[in-house]
Amino acid sequence: MFTTGSKYFIGLTALSVVATVLYLFLVNPSDLGALALVGLITSAATLSGVSIFTRDSDTETVEQAVDASAGPASASFWPIVVALGAAMVLLGLATEPVVFVLGIAVLVGGGVEWMVQGWSDRASANAAYNSEVRAKVLGGIEYPGLSAVLTIIVAFLFSRIFLAVSKDAATIFFMLVAAVIFALGFVFAARTDLRKKALSVVLPVSIALLAIAGVVSALSGERKQLVDAAREDHFAIEHRECGEEASKYYDKHANNRVPLRKAVIATITVENNEVSAKMIGLDRKVDTITIPRMNSTTVLFRNLDDSERRLVVNLGSAKVGDTDVVEPLGTCTQLTGKGQEQVLTLTIPKPATAEEPFSFTVPGANGEIKLVVP
Amino acid sequence: MDTVSRVKSSRRRILGTLVGIAASATLAGCAQNAPQDTWEPKGPNAEMIHDLDNLVFPIAYVVGIIVLGLALYIFWKFKDRGQEIPVQGHGKPYMEITLTVVPALILSVVGVFTFRTIFDLAETQDTEIVINVTGQQWWWEYDYPVQPEHGINQPIVTSGQLVFPAGTKVLLRETSRDVIHSYWIPALNGKKDAVPGRVHLLRLEANEPGLYAGQCAEFCGLSHANMRMEAIALSKEDFAKWVANQQKAYVPPAAGTVEAEGEAVYIAQCARCHQVNGLKDAQGKPIISAPDEYVYSGAAPNLTALMTRNTFAGAMFDLVNEKCRADVWGAPSEKFGEAYLKGVTEDCLNQKDLRAWLRNAPEMKPMYAEPNLLGPSDGKYRGMPYLALTEDDIDKLVAYLLTLK
Repeated sequence: MFTTGSKYFIGLTALSVVATVLYLFLVNPSDLGALALVGLITSAATLSGVSIFTRDSDTETVEQAVDASAGPASASFWPIVVALGAAMVLLGLATEPVVFVLGIAVLVGGGVEWMVQGWSDRASANAAYNSEVRAKVLGGIEYPGLSAVLTIIVAFLFSRIFLAVSKDAATIFFMLVAAVIFALGFVFAARTDLRKKALSVVLPVSIALLAIAGVVSALSGERKQLVDAAREDHFAIEHRECGEEASKYYDKHANNRVPLRKAVIATITVENNEVSAKMIGLDRKVDTITIPRMNSTTVLFRNLDDSERRLVVNLGSAKVGDTDVVEPLGTCTQLTGKGQEQVLTLTIPKPATAEEPFSFTVPGANGEIKLVVP
Repeated sequence: MDTVSRVKSSRRRILGTLVGIAASATLAGCAQNAPQDTWEPKGPNAEMIHDLDNLVFPIAYVVGIIVLGLALYIFWKFKDRGQEIPVQGHGKPYMEITLTVVPALILSVVGVFTFRTIFDLAETQDTEIVINVTGQQWWWEYDYPVQPEHGINQPIVTSGQLVFPAGTKVLLRETSRDVIHSYWIPALNGKKDAVPGRVHLLRLEANEPGLYAGQCAEFCGLSHANMRMEAIALSKEDFAKWVANQQKAYVPPAAGTVEAEGEAVYIAQCARCHQVNGLKDAQGKPIISAPDEYVYSGAAPNLTALMTRNTFAGAMFDLVNEKCRADVWGAPSEKFGEAYLKGVTEDCLNQKDLRAWLRNAPEMKPMYAEPNLLGPSDGKYRGMPYLALTEDDIDKLVAYLLTLK
């Protein structure tokens, strides 16, 4: 015989099926709404199955179960969590989308917990059994969920620290933390007798230190370069000055690290004031680089001269909006010092014309590399 | 039927099925028309892989037979006949060490030869010609960068068929404009993924002129199975002719002809996405296609010299009819170039498929080309859409396309 909880979830499943069918026929067959309703069917059907499995099959008669009108066996703080979620949703609608999304997450999480607790409190007259039933249903969700939340918090705290300290300090800090975790891992693996005792000290202390450092970093704000960059909008197109001289904004804090070498199609080098190019796969210099249309393509620029240089790509010109004003098109790397590298990633939708050929140049250096876009 | 007969009958059925499967697998190896057979290398790179297979596969067979044989023997020897459970011991160090060391030695031998082959296949210093290969749903684009030593003084863009000189070390620089694809001509080399934002290198070389078939080897969406390719190896002299022809200046059809009317239809309907180099508008300005505005991948096949190819629509359909196709496929190596360079003549044109394609392309090849299904593509087509061309327009277009040689 089905009991109250099972009937509830079976009813919810049936209603979801009806709602989905109506939605598919009357509203939109290829919409996210249908997907959400199918998700509801799946969830409700799963909970029906769990309810029948954990309660209906474990009690011999319904009489063994507690009266449905009985009050909850223990105090619950889930209503407060749900209320907090609802408040965050309302607040998020008026302020930041992230608050709204977090509110939805809290609302759904709290609602599920409240619902399952309410159901498990009445699963039978045996409180220990009820607690076990609750753990059976939610244990598999709570631990991974809690771990995910903790991971996000830890990552967030680390990010605050990295944004507050200098780039070099962040690198050293991360290496140290990684080394300490690695060393501790070795110690705990080797000394099993130490594990419980030491973990009960090391973990809370580490978390407390991380929390303090994260909060202090968050309060002290991001490092000066980042604040300046955000205020001055260094990478805004109007600040991208591609001449020989240093640009006031664009060349600040040049990034000379090139991580994605697999995407590089050609390397352009300036050495002894001469520009030369090599294409990947060809072991000789070329004077023309061919780039397929509408294909994200990366060119590596390497400066081997003493003076700072930048690579400029000239892509013809175009009218500005509906006006008759014609502006040159192109972009450039930041100024880069001796032995340093930068990349230009280009996606070019139109080929060059005979009147306006494309090219790569290095201001102040001799020579140019023709750029052909078929 | 008694129990014994039932068991015998059941065993016979199982044995019959197994023999049937084994016979089918064996007979499949005898197929004559199998252009994508990985066991018939036609170039040094594929031969390297084949040589490695010849070493690794016998070892794998021997290991497999020993392991399977031992397993079957143990199943039979120790099956439950009601006997006593043997004494349970813990570990046999000599056996465990042997069972670890022997596979490690076998893998080391295999590993040495495998790594050597991998490094040999990754060699690029001896490249003689470079071709950029770009995958998109669901066709391949080939563009030949400027390489004056091969007579390529302006970039050549083509699709469907990769044309290259036989006996020449070709380096393909692969990438993709949308999702991950994989380039695979089994007779010439192994697979290599084409990944958006990355450039992957693949060596290719054919011993003899000929036509080598391939297939996209990474599931890339609805028409993955129809994303085919053909590599055309020509003698060096024939390749030079092909290059010269691809760079030939565009000659517009004579005014007042059906071809000229077809050019007008092309400009109105096709030039938005497809490029024909040299095509100009009424004011004499070059017509530059803008597939980036209409197509999800940002590209559509360049149709300059379309009729020098034998296929269209991602090599799914032949541009030449069956007889002419057979003439090219069946041509002996020394005559292959001559047969291929004939291109598509009016007599050879596969009118049926080309017209059907122009009439309603999405009906011919599964594509996300229905306007009501374009949500995931940001309102852009994946593949050629239905253009609602009239039969008259199609006649004119076919006449015009036949001039693109």
